[in-house]
Amino acid sequence: MTHRRWFTPWLLAGPAILWLAVFNLWPAVNTVILSFTNAKPLGGGQFTGLENYGRLLDDDQLADALLNSIVFMLVCLPLLTVLPLLLALLVQRRIPGITFFRTAFYTPVIASAVVVALIWGWVLDDRGLVNGLLQQSGLTDSPVSFLTDRWLLLFSAIALTVWKGLGYYMVIYLSALANVPHELHEAAAVDGAGPVRRFWHITLPGVRPTMVLISALISVSSLRVFSELYVLSNGQGGPGGRDMSVVMLIQMYSRGFNGHLGYASALSLLLFVITLGPMLFLMRLNRKAA
Amino acid sequence: MRRIWAALTTTAITAAALTGCGLGSGESRNSDSVASAAATGEVKGKVSLQTWSLKPKFTDYMQGVIDGFKKKYPGVEVEWLDQPGEGYSDKVLSQAAAGTLPDVVNLPPDFAYPLARKDVLLDVAKADPKLSDEYVAGGVEAYRYNGYQGTFGYPWYLNTDVNYWSSDLLTKNGLDPKKPPASLDELIAQARTMKEKSGGQAYLMSRKPGLGDLYNIGVKIMADDGKSFTFNTPEAAALLDKYRDAFKDGLMPNGVLTDTYAGNSKLFSSGTAAWTTGGGNFITSLATDNPTLAPKVVASPAMDTPPLYVQGLSIPKNTKNPAAAVALARWVTSPENQAAFAHLTSVFPSTKASADDPFFSKSDGTNAGDAKVIAFTSLAKAKLIQPVEVDDAMGTIVKQQFALAISGQTSSKQALDTAVEQCNKLLKG
Repeated sequence: MTHRRWFTPWLLAGPAILWLAVFNLWPAVNTVILSFTNAKPLGGGQFTGLENYGRLLDDDQLADALLNSIVFMLVCLPLLTVLPLLLALLVQRRIPGITFFRTAFYTPVIASAVVVALIWGWVLDDRGLVNGLLQQSGLTDSPVSFLTDRWLLLFSAIALTVWKGLGYYMVIYLSALANVPHELHEAAAVDGAGPVRRFWHITLPGVRPTMVLISALISVSSLRVFSELYVLSNGQGGPGGRDMSVVMLIQMYSRGFNGHLGYASALSLLLFVITLGPMLFLMRLNRKAA
Repeated sequence: MRRIWAALTTTAITAAALTGCGLGSGESRNSDSVASAAATGEVKGKVSLQTWSLKPKFTDYMQGVIDGFKKKYPGVEVEWLDQPGEGYSDKVLSQAAAGTLPDVVNLPPDFAYPLARKDVLLDVAKADPKLSDEYVAGGVEAYRYNGYQGTFGYPWYLNTDVNYWSSDLLTKNGLDPKKPPASLDELIAQARTMKEKSGGQAYLMSRKPGLGDLYNIGVKIMADDGKSFTFNTPEAAALLDKYRDAFKDGLMPNGVLTDTYAGNSKLFSSGTAAWTTGGGNFITSLATDNPTLAPKVVASPAMDTPPLYVQGLSIPKNTKNPAAAVALARWVTSPENQAAFAHLTSVFPSTKASADDPFFSKSDGTNAGDAKVIAFTSLAKAKLIQPVEVDDAMGTIVKQQFALAISGQTSSKQALDTAVEQCNKLLKG
């Protein structure tokens, strides 16, 4: 007969708990504490109560950043939830040469976000490929300000994000589609259901949990967008900084010797709370549907 | 048992949190005692030196300087660390936060300022009373800060900006490279000619103004006590208005609104813009990017007060070997070693004794040589234009607001008021 000591499970779980405490729990706790101080990277902060949170209400740039993040999410969410599914349905078929298309659609995913944004920056520049084509074809007389107009810059970043994300979500949908029983499609076809009806009544319910997962992932990543906007705007967030995302604001306030860590932490916590919203909504939606 | 564990854990987290966010008290050494030890101590033992992006191009030079130091002070051991160009401020920040800064560290004045404010750096003037006699005033002044007593670094090498004009592009568009604009009004007038003659294909102006442009028209950037920004004046608004009108008339590319300094010189290198500013060695580096353009570039002095760029060597107060640290900083920045360095690349020495070196004051007849002489002679009136108090976030806010004004999306006055208000908030925070 063997005796189990009371601490055996703790010994086994210890390394994982330590890891989580040091790299997850502690930074989170520290962020909360910092948000109530005026701390700088070289230390010496003092408790300032709710001052940083009061400043959030008075920050015009934050209002712009929140609007940008919400627009980003509202546009990316339907596009990146639906288009990859349609793409997955296209490349799901087993026909010669389909691997080439799957690879081609997936290629942007493995490219670095910064490199891709730099390339798009050149393409959308005043003297870039797109403006060259527009002017040569006579559609415009002067260059379109893709990178210097508030909304055009935002939508350029959205287009880049959608283009880059299609392949990633397509692969997730492909694995979900593989799990939809083929017999259901055969039975429905025998009963006279056409492709559209089979899509609505068999495919869509079959991939619904995946759709919810993908929607949650897109919501979070849209609210936390950084590289695309940062690189396309040369780190300045467009004229007046009106194209900044919340993460760009956090980066702006926290970097350098004189980083304003207190305010940056308050921004981080605000972003965390905002990110929870769409996730909880989608989870609730999924539970209801189930 | 569980309660005890819970209590211990809570105590540990709270204690760690309070020290982690910098609310704990730190140890501070007395500057006088360190300075005195530096002035009177024997130069021996281990000393570390940190430079910024000098390897591999200047490895032989630096090794020669270190070998010379070891020869002068037998028994001293130098550990040389060279940090890569990217992320240097983060590296220094983490070293300072951990208290592991090397004994002698290369810090430009804006990096040294926050460390001096936190009482991390030694007042080298205390350890070395001859400092002001041996180094140029501008260089020494760069390491003295509003509201803080002391000089927090030895000035090392200096540089400034020179105007560079593409003679081909100017001539092709009806402008005379021998008569470059000498004021903003002349610049705008010539930019208009350039636009009309080139059909909007080439630009003369390709950057938006910054705080330096405001300084040059006499706008006071900060209050004397360094506690508030004051650049929202009617003169500053009038300057932004001029740029706004020039932008509206298509005299500058759209990219200036979000562009960085590199964007301006990139447009010049690619033959799209006919004017850029750069250090004394700009033509040499341009020869790599655009060898056809480089020989056709004409240099001229900056239109107003040239900006002063300073690199220096600072010594942390917690150095374990102050005597060797001060001796090493003096040795690296000595007239002989600085002159040897400046002969290798287009930087200029910060020592008064180097002023008479004909190498800097006489051109070899090439346009690169002319630029070097212009840069060297400009140093006499060059000034540290942007206050060291302007941190990354403030710099970004100023750029954003100026871009907003130039694009016409807000009035110049409003943009300046917003920039000053936000920068003041950050300054106080």
